[in-house]
Amino acid sequence: MGVFHRDMYRYAAWLSRDKAIAEDVVQEALLRAWKSLESLRDDAAAKPWLLTIVRRENARYFERKRLETVDIDNLTASQAALLAEEPDDELDDMRQAIYELDDDYREPLVLQVLMGFSTNEIGEQMGLKQGAVLTRLHRARAKLREQMVTA
Amino acid sequence: MSECSSCQAYRLEMKALDDQILRALSLNVPELNMPELPDIVTSNVVSLSARRRFSPPTWFAMAATVVVAALIGIRFVGVDHQTLADEVLAHLDHEPQALVVTDVEISDARFRSVVPASIASMDRRAGLITYAQSCEINGRDVPHLVIQGEHGPVTILLMPEEKIPNALPLEGDTVHGVILPVGSGSIAIIGVREERLDLIEERVLKSVTWST
Repeated sequence: MGVFHRDMYRYAAWLSRDKAIAEDVVQEALLRAWKSLESLRDDAAAKPWLLTIVRRENARYFERKRLETVDIDNLTASQAALLAEEPDDELDDMRQAIYELDDDYREPLVLQVLMGFSTNEIGEQMGLKQGAVLTRLHRARAKLREQMVTA
Repeated sequence: MSECSSCQAYRLEMKALDDQILRALSLNVPELNMPELPDIVTSNVVSLSARRRFSPPTWFAMAATVVVAALIGIRFVGVDHQTLADEVLAHLDHEPQALVVTDVEISDARFRSVVPASIASMDRRAGLITYAQSCEINGRDVPHLVIQGEHGPVTILLMPEEKIPNALPLEGDTVHGVILPVGSGSIAIIGVREERLDLIEERVLKSVTWST
């Protein structure tokens, strides 16, 4: 499972928009995955299976903490760390634009661009029809383009 | 069919946008640090909840379990029935995922499928059974169970057709165990060194009756 830890961490980080929370979520997800390893019948399905667990753990985390939406002007250190990965203005702008996307738009974008999922797989992961996924992806890109033009 | 120039420009723009998105999303990931693992001790294994809040990066906790299992390094100390003992020990290395600390009991259905009435009857009150798998030992399918002991997971192999004349002790750097003769078969019990296996042996022996 360690093979997928990079994907798990990045997915968790973009879901939670917080590096420290991402580490907690990945830890819990790995423990949970380990306990239910028996339910993984096909090794090829390991990545989507693990990402599903990450998604649930992230939801549990936010349910427990009752966290509200993030105010971009008032970030904690671990939230800000997500936006300050490396000194590259263009990348920083894009990262901030992604950060500010609604969860509904950001998640399918991460699954498609970063994880390489098809729109059908994203639909399964998020419990959406393929058409809804396509719409969200289109709107996500449109928002990012708009943000980057005005940045 | 040639692409219109504006379509091509749009496609290239979207490709550039996706490349930029991918670079932005590709956050640096902390290394999966594997710590120097100590022997299995009580503080490491008795409580799942106690393991939940290590200092970051914390996800190595589970991977560490695998390594702990792989580093058990048990050896057979008897002189007879080397093959059976070797098979038992080799099997522990092959199935390290069984040795996880958990309080989640396997289902009755799972238990019955691994320990069918045709092999043995077993009282589940022998311990908290957290793993069950039918495994091949010495060419025969046998129930491989794990119960949670006081100090960590304890492996139980029910081998109704492996008759041995005497108990075969097993010793390792961090674990110990025994293969006990039981009627026409035998039962292997292996746990961490701190574990009082005699107490578990007594419960297991009382709980198991071969069907043949």
